[in-house]
Amino acid sequence: MPPDLSISRCLPPRALLGLALVSLGLLAGCNAEAPSFQPNRLLISRLSQETELDLDAVSNDIQLALDEYFGSIDTPRWPEATLAEELHLPNWIKWSYLDRAAGPVGRKQDKIERGLFRKHCAQCHAADGSGVGATAMCLDPYPRDFRRGTFKFKSTRYGAKPTQEDLRKIIENGIPGSAMPAFHLLNESNHTHEDVEVVTQYVAFLALRGEVERRLFTLAMRELGPQQRLYDPSSKLSDPNLFKQQDQWVRETIRDVAQSWSSAHESLIEIPTTSIPIFQGPSDLQGPHQSDLAASIQRGAELFQSEITGCATCHGPTGRGDGKIQDFDEWTKDWTIRAGIDPRNRSEWKPLRKLGALKPIVAPPRNFSTGVFRGGSQPEEIYRRIVGGIEGSPMPAAPLQPQNPQGLTPDQVWDLVNFVSTRPFLPQGSQP
Amino acid sequence: MSQSRSQSQPISASSSLELTSSSTRYVHAWARAMAIMTFPLIWVGGLVTTYDAGMAVPDWPGTYGYNLFLYPISTWVVGPFDLFVEHGHRLLASLVGLLAIGFLVATLRGDHRRWMHAWALFMLVAVIAQGILGGYRVLADARAMAMIHGCTGPAFFALAAATAVMTSPWWRSLAKTSPVRQSQPNPSQAEQGRGAPSRPTSRWGSFLFYLLPPAAFCQLIIGAQLRHIQPWTPPARFLMWVHLHLTLAAVVTLLIFWVAYRARSISATNRRPLARPASILFFLVVVQLGLGFATWISNYAIPWQDWLPWFARYTIEAKGFTESWIVTGHQAVGSLILALSTVLAMRLGRHRYLHVD
Repeated sequence: MPPDLSISRCLPPRALLGLALVSLGLLAGCNAEAPSFQPNRLLISRLSQETELDLDAVSNDIQLALDEYFGSIDTPRWPEATLAEELHLPNWIKWSYLDRAAGPVGRKQDKIERGLFRKHCAQCHAADGSGVGATAMCLDPYPRDFRRGTFKFKSTRYGAKPTQEDLRKIIENGIPGSAMPAFHLLNESNHTHEDVEVVTQYVAFLALRGEVERRLFTLAMRELGPQQRLYDPSSKLSDPNLFKQQDQWVRETIRDVAQSWSSAHESLIEIPTTSIPIFQGPSDLQGPHQSDLAASIQRGAELFQSEITGCATCHGPTGRGDGKIQDFDEWTKDWTIRAGIDPRNRSEWKPLRKLGALKPIVAPPRNFSTGVFRGGSQPEEIYRRIVGGIEGSPMPAAPLQPQNPQGLTPDQVWDLVNFVSTRPFLPQGSQP
Repeated sequence: MSQSRSQSQPISASSSLELTSSSTRYVHAWARAMAIMTFPLIWVGGLVTTYDAGMAVPDWPGTYGYNLFLYPISTWVVGPFDLFVEHGHRLLASLVGLLAIGFLVATLRGDHRRWMHAWALFMLVAVIAQGILGGYRVLADARAMAMIHGCTGPAFFALAAATAVMTSPWWRSLAKTSPVRQSQPNPSQAEQGRGAPSRPTSRWGSFLFYLLPPAAFCQLIIGAQLRHIQPWTPPARFLMWVHLHLTLAAVVTLLIFWVAYRARSISATNRRPLARPASILFFLVVVQLGLGFATWISNYAIPWQDWLPWFARYTIEAKGFTESWIVTGHQAVGSLILALSTVLAMRLGRHRYLHVD
């Protein structure tokens, strides 16, 4: 009998086609869980070791308070003008921008695109700004957790909040050598020119909310007795005085955090002028001020390796990042060292992964020989990093005169700037 | 002999082989055009995703109230880039739809294989369905639908490539040299003294050829999972997709290497229809591996600064030209690999089942 030569005998076996179709169904993903603000479980885990309070119950109350003042993840709330002023909320944050940033990506009747944070940022930073977005486990360094209210690259002193301009600069320029993109191209489109500002304000909003959450835990541990609640909206009618006290706690906490944001510009690092020539590029090494510049670099090298600054301890004697100390950042220490967990011991930190912990990775000291500085390579930015430190990282703020008699003078800081800036061109010291 | 065969059997009756060559050439020409034009459609569709242009035109099937074909060209060309890409994608889709209509008409008129008539109708329905999917994505503002639309598009591309193979002169001419034909009135290779061609591969060897298209399609779907990240995707799941994508990339690469080697070692009689697409696949997979690596860097950078200082200097530019075209190119070449591997599997299948010993 002649063989069947119908088309079905000439196509790939049906089983394989079926496999492909089944794969399509299985792999398409059926998870439809909507994002929501999640409690800071790692913080709860650490603080639970320090108190007898039921912190899960406290956390529920904190979420109620935060929902009342900051709204939900899809519908942000921002107090009206009078209350905003009373709470010292930053006046550069506008509710209309928060409304555009929050929620799912899409358009309402007004055809204005919303959900910009989820569109541009949430795949790394997560929809609630916790830094545990979808891609987080694949990145090094990890995406920033805004909830600590700590930001690395800013123009303000150590311990102060960043300014609006600091946040916008990072979003527009990105961070070299990391997964943080530069979004400046959004400014060039008529449709998206506001997107950067929208996202900037929402980042500050998430940071503010997150830090209020952290401080409310500390307040609860300090003020609450057993069975006492931190925030109980149902007591508004049953016990108005109690609710008033609870609401006062929340408002004071918001005020304290918000005030730090509103007054950030008062902590700007001053960039003094100097008679020392400042290195701008390799041509300066042969320029008319080369001898003064070389002298400055030499002084900078000595300072770099001195015990006053301790720079070489981490960055190595020639600034190649090969020093003796390898430390972790504050976000990691928060849930490891401060909770009695050794971040280098996998068996100790692994159980916390179910609470959202990411594998601890060392925050390496910068290798200056690449000529790249994540906060900016301009001399003024390097000056800020030295004087202000890099908050959240092991990089401290340099001790300065007159506050610290053993500290550095502004000219000495400029010497350090010149030394650091010239590492790609003078790897061994002050001579090529 | 073939009395028991139905009229729908492809090679049973001699009349099914005695088609006018010009009409069958037209059928093949339409099929080729449909397949060829699907590739730029997929590429531009990828640009729509890369540039977040899915909602650049908020209505469908019209464009800002205009009929799709009457939207002012000047506005389209010099307007915002996302509008240019999205409206261009719709125009290309319409072109492919028109080509599918042309293919159906040509098939009805010029191809006597009834199953091909049904297939041509299926292809038209498929392209219309894909268009409806895209329209639904816009009307419902459903970003998840974009991912599905982006997976079914390459599937259509593979089917269009298969269609081109099935309408090709090679497909028909192979039947003339089939040992089956030895029992037919017309002369066969045996009567011409050349003997029956041997089976080009073993059963297991053929299985690997057939495995390539679904493997490539699975890889494409996994890539879509990485590209269309949902806000609620847990980090561990994304990491799982990454590992799967890398693993399947290795599998597909090894498959293609083996297929390319095997295709070249097949006897000269059978080589060209297999060796050429296999060679192109070999080249494409090497390019695709490079594009995949570059795509990761374009999206997430790599912390290998001590190995190569360039990584320390690189700042990802969101919606940057280089980044966007690398990422889009990776997706488009993946579709091309799927289509070519389908062509290869179709041709091998045709070989095997027309040269059964």
